[in-house]
Amino acid sequence: MNRRIAIRNMALILGSVAVLPSCLNDKGKPVVALKHLKLDADQENVVNNLTETILPKTSTPGAKDLGINLFVFKMIDDCFDQKQQDEFMDGLKEFSAAVDEKYGKSFNELTPQERAAFVTGMEKQAKENRVKTQAADSAKKPAEPNKAENFYNTVKGQTVFGYTTSQYFMTKEVVYELVPGRYNAMFPVKKKATA
Amino acid sequence: MANLNIDSIKDRKFDAIVIGSGMSGGWAAKELGDKGLKTLILERGRDVKHLKDYPTTNLYPWEFPHHGEVTAEIREANPIVNRCYAFGEDAMHFFVKDKEHPYVQEKPFDWIRGYQVGGKSLLWARQTQRWSDFDFDGPARDGFAVDWPIRYADIAPWYSYVEKFAGISGNKDGLAELPDGEFLPAFPLNAVETYFSKHVKSKYQNRHVISARCAHLSKPNQIHLDQGRGQCQERTLCHRGCPFGGYFSANSSTIPWALKSGHVTLRPFSVVESIFYDEQKGKATGVRVIDTNTKEAIEYYADVIFLNAAALNSNLVLLNSTSHRFPNGLGNDSGTLGKYVAFHNYSAHINAEYDGAKEWTTDGRNPAGGGYIPRFRNVYKQETNFLRGYAAGFSAYRYNQTTSEGIGDELKNNLKNDDLSGWKVGSHMMGETIPKESNYVALDKSQKDPWGIPKLKISVDYDDNDAKMKKDYVEQMTEMFTSAGFTNIKASVDSRAPGLDIHEMGGVRMGKDPKTSMLDKWHRLHACQNVYVTDGASMTSTSCQNPSLTYMAFAARAVDHWVTNKGKA
Repeated sequence: MNRRIAIRNMALILGSVAVLPSCLNDKGKPVVALKHLKLDADQENVVNNLTETILPKTSTPGAKDLGINLFVFKMIDDCFDQKQQDEFMDGLKEFSAAVDEKYGKSFNELTPQERAAFVTGMEKQAKENRVKTQAADSAKKPAEPNKAENFYNTVKGQTVFGYTTSQYFMTKEVVYELVPGRYNAMFPVKKKATA
Repeated sequence: MANLNIDSIKDRKFDAIVIGSGMSGGWAAKELGDKGLKTLILERGRDVKHLKDYPTTNLYPWEFPHHGEVTAEIREANPIVNRCYAFGEDAMHFFVKDKEHPYVQEKPFDWIRGYQVGGKSLLWARQTQRWSDFDFDGPARDGFAVDWPIRYADIAPWYSYVEKFAGISGNKDGLAELPDGEFLPAFPLNAVETYFSKHVKSKYQNRHVISARCAHLSKPNQIHLDQGRGQCQERTLCHRGCPFGGYFSANSSTIPWALKSGHVTLRPFSVVESIFYDEQKGKATGVRVIDTNTKEAIEYYADVIFLNAAALNSNLVLLNSTSHRFPNGLGNDSGTLGKYVAFHNYSAHINAEYDGAKEWTTDGRNPAGGGYIPRFRNVYKQETNFLRGYAAGFSAYRYNQTTSEGIGDELKNNLKNDDLSGWKVGSHMMGETIPKESNYVALDKSQKDPWGIPKLKISVDYDDNDAKMKKDYVEQMTEMFTSAGFTNIKASVDSRAPGLDIHEMGGVRMGKDPKTSMLDKWHRLHACQNVYVTDGASMTSTSCQNPSLTYMAFAARAVDHWVTNKGKA
């Protein structure tokens, strides 16, 4: 039952994140217990706020409600190798620098609207670069990697993975079946359920 | 096992010993138990009891700490087994970790192992096809190995025998190259798989796309219910262990059945160090085991020994069983022990799209995985510049067109988009490799494993025949896909090491001539007739069919032979 304990612990960490950052002003101390990544509290909050910007609370729960931000930390800390973690840290710094250059303040100090605007810009840029990279691939010339963009893609990828495999998403938004009990090989499209 | 009284030789004397509790060992134990022989099963790993020891079987994706992903630490510590497709957070407890049981790779070889009761039968992909006379005749016809001492007619009744008990789903397809069996209902092909099947049949002579035959209880019979197994629930989470007993594993089927007979004792944590040979009696009299917990050496005695440790480990046990009579390994008068190892070649894939059949999709999951293309090259005559041939998987699927574009509500909507994609199709090759003397396993003279047993040294590689066959697969499938109107066809070949197909075979091959083979037509060592080897080690050639069903049939047949003939030379 270790897994259940782990999940329960994650819920406890989730609780502490909801409380601590608002009342603690110590820049140096991260809240999430990480084994490999060395983040200060500001950097940690950049990731927290970024996941919430990507997946905000709307009429449905957001990243922080569902603990997706913590899942992102856990995945990068546990499942990324040293090189990937170094790239993540480099990217985080460049991402922060890009925000600073544009707004003269940190990502954490932006309003939610400003964060969304900045991230939308990254989305657009990432999409353009994907197209460019695909074109370059066919010409055998890889495009120059943009560290800030790679960082953004990593956080987004893990946010999406955590969300689409979360209990909330797999029970409320789509229905995951552990035991389907059927295989219909010829199933009419028009009968397909919508959830 | 604490309840074994190991002080008394009498208590360590059995009618039969079975080494290994997986696909073939489970069958040997079941048959011996059914026939009333006092039998000891030795398993080097821990016990895995059906239902009780499947810790992840009922977990939802979000209940895994990393939602199914393997951590970097585990990946880095296990570069070999991590390459296996089924090594994930949900099933890694059933795989041997790289450091636990080291071996020597003279050439790169990904040796994927499951050391526990049930062995790899818990983890297999459950595809089950009979061999045909084209396979058993093959070596004699094109001269690539020694002649098999048996033919399809020898083994056909035993295929039927094990199929009825294990439960195999499939259609009677009436193909000479893939004989029909005792089938439960097949899992049907979907719209595009059916379309491709019809197209291939109309366009090509002797090429077929059929429903894959697999070891799932699509509709259980009484004999399956008697085993405590139930209908397959189409979870396709088989590698975690199935709580329904929906697919065949030694854990859900043969081992509990054997234990219920009251004649069979299971001893896990027992690495077999060697089989010992009595020169006066001219036969094997027992085995020496190292208890993996206490490191204590214990000897067990029996009239007959069934060696089913999985192909390469069965080689290891025989190589390490030396005596004055057999200085180079038990039964090794021919000098062929450990040689002529072969495997399957799964290293080419092809994918494409199909624009039709938009009105159809599928619902639920298909445990059979889709279609199967039996070997069609060099079957009736040698028609290519390579020997033998390949089978292929074929499947078609549609998926929900979710995207991760955008942020906020746009992203949330994109992630649950259930608009269906068009049909995608895919295939992978399953090629036969040619047994060669230069592909061998041997004992490493200088390095020992944690139990004091020499490490196995593996020297196995692809050859020119494999390269030609791979090229032909890509060409033929591209042509068949093009002809069927599939578009955006993309073939890919990978550079994996041998072994990752998990179908290593040979080293203790069968044959008519004791000068060029190890085993006779009953799977007995030519030179030591109370030792039977009925796992992958015994394979003279490898065919391109999945081998497990054949091991099961071999094991049941060999036990019958011993029980019928024991005491007679």
